[in-house]
Amino acid sequence: MFSDLSGQKQGQCLLSPPLFEDQAPVFERTSSRYCPRSERYTVGERSFSRQYAHIYAARLMQMKPLLSEAAQQKWGAEVPIKKLCDLQAGEQCCIVGTLFKGMELQPSILKEISDELNLLPQPARVKYISETDKLILEDELQRIKLEGKIDRDKCVTGSVIAVYGAEKNDGIFTVEDFCAADFPAQTPRPALSCDTFVLLASGLGLGSSRADSMLGLQLLVDMVTGQLGEQQEQNGAATISRIILAGNLLSQNTQEKDAALKPKYLTKKTQAGSVEAVRLLDELLLQLVASVPVDVMPGQYDPTNYTLPQQPLHPCMFPLSSAYPTLHLVSNPYQADIDGVRVLGTSGQNVRDIQRYSSMDNHLDILEETLQLQHMAPTAPDTLGCYPFYQKDPFILEECPHVYFSGNAPTFQSKIITGAGGQEVLLVTVPEFSGTQTACLVNLRTLSCEPVTFSAFCVGDDEEGPMNVSH
Amino acid sequence: MTTKHGLITDSFKVVKKARRERKREKRPSPPRQLKKEAEAVHEEELQKLQQFDLDWRFGPCTGISRLQRWERAKLHNLNPPDEIKELLLKTQSDPSYSHSLWGEYPL
Repeated sequence: MFSDLSGQKQGQCLLSPPLFEDQAPVFERTSSRYCPRSERYTVGERSFSRQYAHIYAARLMQMKPLLSEAAQQKWGAEVPIKKLCDLQAGEQCCIVGTLFKGMELQPSILKEISDELNLLPQPARVKYISETDKLILEDELQRIKLEGKIDRDKCVTGSVIAVYGAEKNDGIFTVEDFCAADFPAQTPRPALSCDTFVLLASGLGLGSSRADSMLGLQLLVDMVTGQLGEQQEQNGAATISRIILAGNLLSQNTQEKDAALKPKYLTKKTQAGSVEAVRLLDELLLQLVASVPVDVMPGQYDPTNYTLPQQPLHPCMFPLSSAYPTLHLVSNPYQADIDGVRVLGTSGQNVRDIQRYSSMDNHLDILEETLQLQHMAPTAPDTLGCYPFYQKDPFILEECPHVYFSGNAPTFQSKIITGAGGQEVLLVTVPEFSGTQTACLVNLRTLSCEPVTFSAFCVGDDEEGPMNVSH
Repeated sequence: MTTKHGLITDSFKVVKKARRERKREKRPSPPRQLKKEAEAVHEEELQKLQQFDLDWRFGPCTGISRLQRWERAKLHNLNPPDEIKELLLKTQSDPSYSHSLWGEYPL
């Protein structure tokens, strides 16, 4: 979007004497119709007196009709869909249920306690899958072990699927085939007359010990607010109608756990690292919201609740920027209609958790998998913190988004996938800004997506010059 | 201290005894029958609600009220019986009605 514009004139405007203020061209920022759709992710009353059985029950209740339909589509309308209690040995049939993966390496609080006695701490791992993992399918009443044509390592606990096969005499169900709910229905995307962009960024990592992302961050702000580059580039920046910051605005370093362990008299005059970082964030947001609407999602390290859905950050933390109506403090997961385009995304905890508990590594593949399962966070509440819902599971994707993103990924990736029902979805993994200095621009008209890198120091294979706004 | 109050409590006791005796005299047998009937109805209603609790189709019931469970079943089109809801709405204030069989168990 920018580099093809800036290549045409070699910065003539920048080399000429400055124009008077009233002569300089004014670029009107594109505005877009905005409608927040995150009501399902707000938790009003917070009662933690419930068990997590309800969320699994509600999930199965809600997804069972969908999966029965998917199963009938796949294996024919007369396929027998059975409950586990009616299952006869040797009978070919289909069962709908919730997957559970028994994992040897999964961290458990009971193990931690028992290991305390032997002084054997559980090692932190990148992946918790092992050869001894067992797949188990649960319906409302019973559970059964699964074997056969199902990729054990790829599956995660909590996903609702339909399996086809037969139970053998030893009480193990041999899977011949299985299916997920597949993409939900999508409302058609309106045709837009002009290019409008939404900028996605995540993992700003403020308050970290390394300050090298600050220059990139300032360049990003300057680019968006039109203080960078030539007139044409400024004109291009004016087509950015919205910014979505997808979590981890604060660095992990701001969460000093050791402060709680130190005696009070040693920490009396020290300030929490997050205080300074939030002040920095407020100043950064102030520059942005003065010019463009910004949606701020909280992430894993941000000062809000830990369990999903994370509630919006409190406006009292942003005394400067919260005065502007363009600052939108939103929940994580976040959903909105921007110019009629449904945008849905998370700060990446769900994807990262699936990565840990399955063989899948690529964030983009995992994102696609969650869409296939029709569930954003199947591993919640097993290994991912989650509020104990009882009535409905809000993470079930009832409507297919047009743009589906997850934040805090290691690298930028995007692709457009098409569902069986003609759904067209742009998947984006938004890279961590502090590590990659990369944000991404989504064109709402064409659903194309491109990264914008602000690398003052060449990171990896970036061969272009310093301070380059590049593809 | 308690020994000094002894006199006052004694006097109260006398008054209470007197009242009870009066009540017993005033109340003839018919209210007892009514009471029995009411108890039978109460028992029957509780039976129905317990049957509702024991129906696995409507999901787990610990930690939520019967009405919340009924409403969840309704939301997911599981056709919970309407009479249960009517009964629950009628007797909202009574904890023996509003909470499930396992309502007393600690989580």
